[in-house]
Amino acid sequence: MSSPFPHLLPSSPLSPSLPLLFLPSKTLSPRHRRRSAVTAALQWNRKPQFAGETPRVVVVTSGKGGVGKTTTTANVGLSLARFGFSVVAIDADAGLRNLDLLLGLENRVNYTAVDVLNGDCRLDQALVRDRRCPSLELLCISKPRSKLPLGFGSKALTWVVDALRSRPAGPPHFVLIDCPAGIDAGFITAIAPANEAVLVTTPDITALRDADRVTGLLECDGIRDIKMIVNRVRTDLIRGEDMMSVLDVQEMLGLALLGVIPEDSEVIKSTNRGYPLVLNKPPTMAGLAFEQAAWRLVEQDTMTAVMVEEEPKKKGFFSFFGG
Amino acid sequence: MTSIANSIYFLPFQSIYSQNHFRDDKGWNSANLCWFRFDSPRPKWICGRSRWVSAIGASALDSAGNDGASVPVDGKGLDWERRINSFREMVNALPPATLVFKGTTPSKSVLILSIAIAILAIASRRIMLKRKDNSYQGSVADLVRRGQLRSDRRGISKPMKYDDPFNNPFVKIDKSCSTVEMFGKLYRLAPVTLTTEQKSVHQKRRSRVYQWKRPTVFLKEGDSMPPDIDPDTVRWIPANHPFATTVSDIDEDLAQNNVYQKDGVPFRVKAEHEAMQKKLQALQNEQRFNEVAINLNNIRDFERPSQSVKPHEQLEQDSSIYQQNGLINEGVDSSADNHQRN
Ligand SMILES: Nc1ncnc2c1ncn2[C@@H]1O[C@H](COP(=O)(O)OP(=O)(O)O)[C@@H](O)[C@H]1O
Ligand SMILES: [Mg+2]
Repeated sequence: MSSPFPHLLPSSPLSPSLPLLFLPSKTLSPRHRRRSAVTAALQWNRKPQFAGETPRVVVVTSGKGGVGKTTTTANVGLSLARFGFSVVAIDADAGLRNLDLLLGLENRVNYTAVDVLNGDCRLDQALVRDRRCPSLELLCISKPRSKLPLGFGSKALTWVVDALRSRPAGPPHFVLIDCPAGIDAGFITAIAPANEAVLVTTPDITALRDADRVTGLLECDGIRDIKMIVNRVRTDLIRGEDMMSVLDVQEMLGLALLGVIPEDSEVIKSTNRGYPLVLNKPPTMAGLAFEQAAWRLVEQDTMTAVMVEEEPKKKGFFSFFGG
Repeated sequence: MTSIANSIYFLPFQSIYSQNHFRDDKGWNSANLCWFRFDSPRPKWICGRSRWVSAIGASALDSAGNDGASVPVDGKGLDWERRINSFREMVNALPPATLVFKGTTPSKSVLILSIAIAILAIASRRIMLKRKDNSYQGSVADLVRRGQLRSDRRGISKPMKYDDPFNNPFVKIDKSCSTVEMFGKLYRLAPVTLTTEQKSVHQKRRSRVYQWKRPTVFLKEGDSMPPDIDPDTVRWIPANHPFATTVSDIDEDLAQNNVYQKDGVPFRVKAEHEAMQKKLQALQNEQRFNEVAINLNNIRDFERPSQSVKPHEQLEQDSSIYQQNGLINEGVDSSADNHQRN
């Protein structure tokens, strides 16, 4: 397929309207910098290299609801599993459980963490193995009608992660915790066992304020490794200056970028199907973005460049997809 | 214009056949070229399947407008006339067509025929579109398939094939590493401008604004404070919070042990089993005691609890099967059956 913009020169200089506030800290030759930028942008022809200690306990949080925590957990979790890492995804949203729906495992959840705590089953019996990717397991914290009892709510997930750490089959590479919205008891329970966090936000001011607050709380709790995913980025709105660009978001929060996910109607379709986007064939923009975010998560890498799409006729440009 | 008038007799043929099969790549702007390919040295019959479908659709919708489409050709004068004549000769050389139209007035029968074929074309287009719909994935039909929506089980989609994450043909990076082509779109790379200094500035700002200590104990609002707990670590939960509305008869140590249990029978299942066994034993003793006077009510009481009593090993096996297959009911039934046979 030939490029639709053949007249665009690849070596076009940065557009002056780019919010360039600071020069890049590293003083590499431009050519070298570009190359490393691309390798940070897109990876696909090798297995990502695991960095850090097993298990890496990552909480996916946002403060505000409906920004895509569950979508991120499902897609990043499945991507990690496809890369060959063992993953336990924990749905810590006691009130509004839906990670099982996104993964299409809702009919196979018979036991939850509450049943484990009550002694109705063992932890290994409550883990639901994904048949598409057997290295992905799901644990739901509770069934819609049976809630986590108050007494050990605050410690439940810490015990679960401890138990996973010492399980006979070996600890999983990743424990991904899908955090509920808000900063109350559910949030506290979810972040308790984590030692790193993925902050999901959308480029709007309400989500950003909550994100900043949650980041502050996480930092108070000693979680220093916080990276952000900017979700639902709409290219047309950014172009019309109706939406903040990814670099604007970064300027406001001061967090490293793990990924930029475009708004994509395929997300809702994949939710309907219970088939995470990253498994779509042919791949979708958002699915690929999630996969790349998962890649960076494994390598503890961050984005060094943001992809910018230029329209040939209009002068405007817009940042779009992570790089 | 006279040549056009002469050719009107043949126009229906054009709208029926030539549109469907000889549509040019550029569409109807070059419609005039299509049906003259009869006498061109190399007739062009190449039509992709999808193009063919859209051509049918276009012909069904546009058949009225096509007569006008040939008007601009008039400017070509003699050439036009010569081609019309050659086409007429060719049509005349086809006996079946002339035979069919002999009985009635030719224009009427041709009209009927063309309408019939237009209807056919519309119908076939509908069918094609429907086929396309079936392969569409991620629709409400999938919710039906998954049992989330109650409806007829329509549109069961085929499972997606596993895609190799290490080989994505939709992404191309150019040699100079300054642009990336994804899904046919070209992207330029803009460097991330956040520096480590900036990051720490933000961190310091947040640590000033938000001061927080993660609570480790949850207590219901209105409850009394246990003596051995630091008040700073308590989070008070409103009484209507889901965590606060559930009570548990299990204490913290026991719950922790339950989570850490690696094998064997889960605590509560074991406890229930033991309780049931005790009850059973008590009943049996009682029965031996009243051996002479057999009470029917007693027997009924005896049989009901025995349904849920399982031997140890059976239990363990079953519970692992449950989670794998979701066969709770079947598992319980079969073990109950086994027990009764014993
Ligand atoms: N990139 C995206 N493009 C389009 N829709 C999205 C995207 N990310 C999330 N959504 C939609 O937003 C809604 C909320 O997502 P969800 O992951 O459940 O949020 P949260 O878990 O933070 O409450 C869902 O309906 C989902 O389909
Ligand atoms: Mg959610």
